[in-house]
Amino acid sequence: MSDRIRLSIDGRELTVEPPLSLLQAATADGTPLTSNVGCMGQGVCGACRCLVRREGEREVSTVLACETSAENGMQVSFIDYFTPHRPHVYDIAGITDSWRIADAVRDVFPEADHCRHCGGCDRACPKGLEVQRGVALAAAGNLAGAADIFDQCVMCNLCTLACPEHIWPNHLGLMVRRAVTALGLRPSDLIARLAEIERGQQPIDFSGRDDHDAAAGAARKG
Amino acid sequence: MISAIAFEQAMASLVRDADPVLRPDPLSREELLEAYHPDAGPEARVSLRVGPNRGDPCHPALARVVEGDALIGDVDLAAIAPMSTDVLVVGGGGAGAAAALSARAAGAEVVVAAKLRIGDSNTVMAEGGIQAAVGEDDSLQRHFDDTMRGGHHAADPALVARLAGDGPDVVRWLIGLGVDFDLAEGAAPGARLMRKRAGGTTAARILSHRDFTGLEIMRVLREAVELDRGVTVLNRSPAIELLSDEYGRCAGAVLYDLEHRVFKLVRAGAVILATGGAGRLHLTGFATSNHYGATADGLALAYRIGARLREVDSFQYHPTGVAHPPHLAGGLISEAVRSVGARLINGLGERFIDELAPRDVVTAAILRECAQGRGVGRDGSVGVFLDTPGLLKERPQLLDKQLVSLKHLAHRCGVDPCVDPLLVYPTLHYQNGGVAIDGNGATSVEGLYCAGEVAGGVHGRNRLMGNALLDIFVFGRRAGAAAAGQAGTPLAHGRIGLGHVQRWRRELTRAGVTGGSLSPVLYPAYGNFELRSHMAAGGKG
Repeated sequence: MSDRIRLSIDGRELTVEPPLSLLQAATADGTPLTSNVGCMGQGVCGACRCLVRREGEREVSTVLACETSAENGMQVSFIDYFTPHRPHVYDIAGITDSWRIADAVRDVFPEADHCRHCGGCDRACPKGLEVQRGVALAAAGNLAGAADIFDQCVMCNLCTLACPEHIWPNHLGLMVRRAVTALGLRPSDLIARLAEIERGQQPIDFSGRDDHDAAAGAARKG
Repeated sequence: MISAIAFEQAMASLVRDADPVLRPDPLSREELLEAYHPDAGPEARVSLRVGPNRGDPCHPALARVVEGDALIGDVDLAAIAPMSTDVLVVGGGGAGAAAALSARAAGAEVVVAAKLRIGDSNTVMAEGGIQAAVGEDDSLQRHFDDTMRGGHHAADPALVARLAGDGPDVVRWLIGLGVDFDLAEGAAPGARLMRKRAGGTTAARILSHRDFTGLEIMRVLREAVELDRGVTVLNRSPAIELLSDEYGRCAGAVLYDLEHRVFKLVRAGAVILATGGAGRLHLTGFATSNHYGATADGLALAYRIGARLREVDSFQYHPTGVAHPPHLAGGLISEAVRSVGARLINGLGERFIDELAPRDVVTAAILRECAQGRGVGRDGSVGVFLDTPGLLKERPQLLDKQLVSLKHLAHRCGVDPCVDPLLVYPTLHYQNGGVAIDGNGATSVEGLYCAGEVAGGVHGRNRLMGNALLDIFVFGRRAGAAAAGQAGTPLAHGRIGLGHVQRWRRELTRAGVTGGSLSPVLYPAYGNFELRSHMAAGGKG
């Protein structure tokens, strides 16, 4: 079998057998796992964020424990999820003027103009997003550009922790994305179907007219 | 050990140039399911011995959970002052968030109790998309018919009609909250939604955001809930028992506060269980695609207070879980990959099933290949190939837009999906049945609602891709509104406690069910959690 490795997680010395993720390693000594865990490997929930220093390196990096392999000599420290006072409060339904989305964003996130370009957010992001550029685009009113940058954000809040100006970049990005969609996305097919339903033109017959099988077979061959 | 074809040999058999021909199948789909699906066979179910479903079939491992004894008794609740709210939502996934928002919209005060943290759920992991019949070539009727047929006509038609009927409005609601959906080609004004095919459907009906639709939806819903001052979110607060009044109605819940290691009582006009499924019980020994918290907590709580269950012997094993490397086993490869054209290939280089047949059929087909020695073996794992190179050689651009998650997953598996196929094996994915509900999520117990995967009757005995994301919002919203309507009833004043637990214990004794397990389970075995020792210990954990 593979050689066992030693690493330190939240101050506990562990010996484990690779390959396994940092999250799997964290339970190897019987410690209860009740936080900093969610999707367990998909890397989409952002719950298992932690600080990691690899053996022989000075730099500490932020990673998601579920998608990072345990290595010999690693020092790992999980970062508690926090629910602090939320300074940036808005109701998406309260934004009604699509000409003034950028103003609405600026009202809620005035700190976005104060970015000092320290790059802390970029270094913190475990997904490698260009967070700082996203903040700059949002502040400049380039909403589509900012929305695009935050498209794959998992809301782990590491950039919010890292930002000395309290910009809350991921929440800023999410507000931009939400506002652009809520005020801009109006698909014509959805509109047409909703109108049909409203007019009673989409009845559902419970008797189960099961006559689409032939059509489905034909469609599959095509 | 079942024999399998060695990886290197299987790779050599993989046809590189032409689309492989589908091998003719001597078995009908029904015969295939009967012979190879994990739900079939004599070991797949036992009869429940106690409770409203006494005599009904249930998965053996799940039966131990729903027939379990409570974790607490009256003595644990002495001298704890309850907090009060109109609506208590248990569970912080998509159904819980939708329920909370719609209860708020109806004017209720809401408490959301999450075992992990709001948003940590199967919802955030959903990749493929959400069904809603918006296409011109589609209709609510087709959606209804496909869902009924896909579920082998075991679903409640009234629930399915509501599922299909609410679909377009759910999408409008999500867009209104700021959830983005991909558009088909064309200029923005007048553009149509991009629609994908799901297995077992007669029209392209899956709406999506890239291949991380669940993340796009859940991050928006979590933000909306957290920004709502009328919602109190209690993270790391699993519900460990419901509270009942003297008439047997549900009147709140007992939470365990993991931070302070104490119990918390929440009295509520109505309770909505949105606790999700059971994947982390690893039924029948399968790996799972589910998130860490999916341990059937809601089923145990609802059953003990007297709510009826249905189809709790029926589970979905998603055809394409990761089979290799072993430490990532069970991770999901979205049906979107097959939906855009990827083939399944056995160790002989054969295509053995229509990849877009219903999920249970594809799963049974893969299990047959592996059982009959035509699987691919690698480092002790067995599976079949998902032929991503065959798909991507014509359309490499898919990886950067539509299949972002696949790219990410393949990278962690150490595979270049343009060069090497992924090794896949079915993974425990979804609980088809659950607590019986009506069209508003109401259970057979007054004051208790269920929404999402914990509820049953919407998908029959097999769920179609994209119908789970729709289900959680259709019934989450309905349950939230209905529960808000109950606020202010006399429930807010009478005596509440664990009367139903005392009744349950008498029933267990009468039926001779002793020495069983305790439930809810809360965490999988590798979570190293035991309530009493956790309460006794100090520090973080």
